[in-house]
Amino acid sequence: MSLTRKPQVLLLPALLALTLSACQTTSPTAAGDGSVSYGDAKAVETVTTDLGSTDIQMIAEKMTQSLLQTPEIRNAIKKRELLMASPVKNKTSEYFDTRLITDTILTQLQKNGVKYVIEGEDMQNQVDELRRQNQSGLYNKSKSVKMGNMQGAKYRLDGSISSIVKKGANVKDVYYKMNLRLIEIETGVVEWSDEKEIRKSAKR
Amino acid sequence: MKQIAIAAALGFALLGAPFSLQAATEGGSIASKVEELGKMSYLKVTDMRAVKRDGLLRIQVTISNTDTSNQQLYYRFRWLDDDGFTVWDEEPWKPEVIYGLQKKVIQAVSPTLKATDFRLELQSPKNEGAPFSGSNAPGGITNP
Repeated sequence: MSLTRKPQVLLLPALLALTLSACQTTSPTAAGDGSVSYGDAKAVETVTTDLGSTDIQMIAEKMTQSLLQTPEIRNAIKKRELLMASPVKNKTSEYFDTRLITDTILTQLQKNGVKYVIEGEDMQNQVDELRRQNQSGLYNKSKSVKMGNMQGAKYRLDGSISSIVKKGANVKDVYYKMNLRLIEIETGVVEWSDEKEIRKSAKR
Repeated sequence: MKQIAIAAALGFALLGAPFSLQAATEGGSIASKVEELGKMSYLKVTDMRAVKRDGLLRIQVTISNTDTSNQQLYYRFRWLDDDGFTVWDEEPWKPEVIYGLQKKVIQAVSPTLKATDFRLELQSPKNEGAPFSGSNAPGGITNP
């Protein structure tokens, strides 16, 4: 029995293997018609002139870089002074949640050691849990947190975002300006402020 | 001659830094810090300075447009530690228009105290043999 004598016998399973492997895919994707795909979350987004992901990311990045250089923030890291973010006013003609910006800034500062306290929407959950542990009578006193120990922030971030929209016959131009301030809560003194400007144009 | 001056400027800036940049002092050239996604035809990095001040890495890069028409640039920094690990999330690509024959200065401060080194990623849609062009550029999410 020699292998060289019957090459067609060997060829058949080889061909079969080849056709089968052509059907296989190593791509870890579930069935889909290919109309949906994942993109780069950090890509420059130029779908419309409306405020978009790139604008939010650039604003947050600029503000974080600028804040990190201020002595107040450096001291806050060293002395564990607390920060909070007041809701940023959206004075543009578009709707978007300005917490997208302040949440990113707070997260990036937090990665550098800045501690911040919650406010606004998150406060209700915090109060609910404190009350549950103290007033429901369900918890062991030695294993539950005490009321009256929450800490107030020393500084707060506040700001606004505005836009100027101009439309010509063939062009639309939008100018955005985000202003952010760091305010010492006790005194109301603005310790730091910075701006980020963005211009977007579109052919109509 | 110009390149020597650039390298000298970079070297001097690094020597002057309170903390020397390890990879930079080894390489000591702009090329070791810049990653172009395809060779840029008209835009050139003509100056680069890095200094560590107050624990933060400060970078200043001059991009020169050798063409007379405006050029689009996309850039971002990657922040590294001494061992070459990235110490920050991927930055968003940032768009920048550079006018004809303009020298544009781009400044950045590291977003973290951990950064000791960096890479500058550059992409211009009008690249020679670019892996990205037009709608495939980092500014890839465009209105069809």
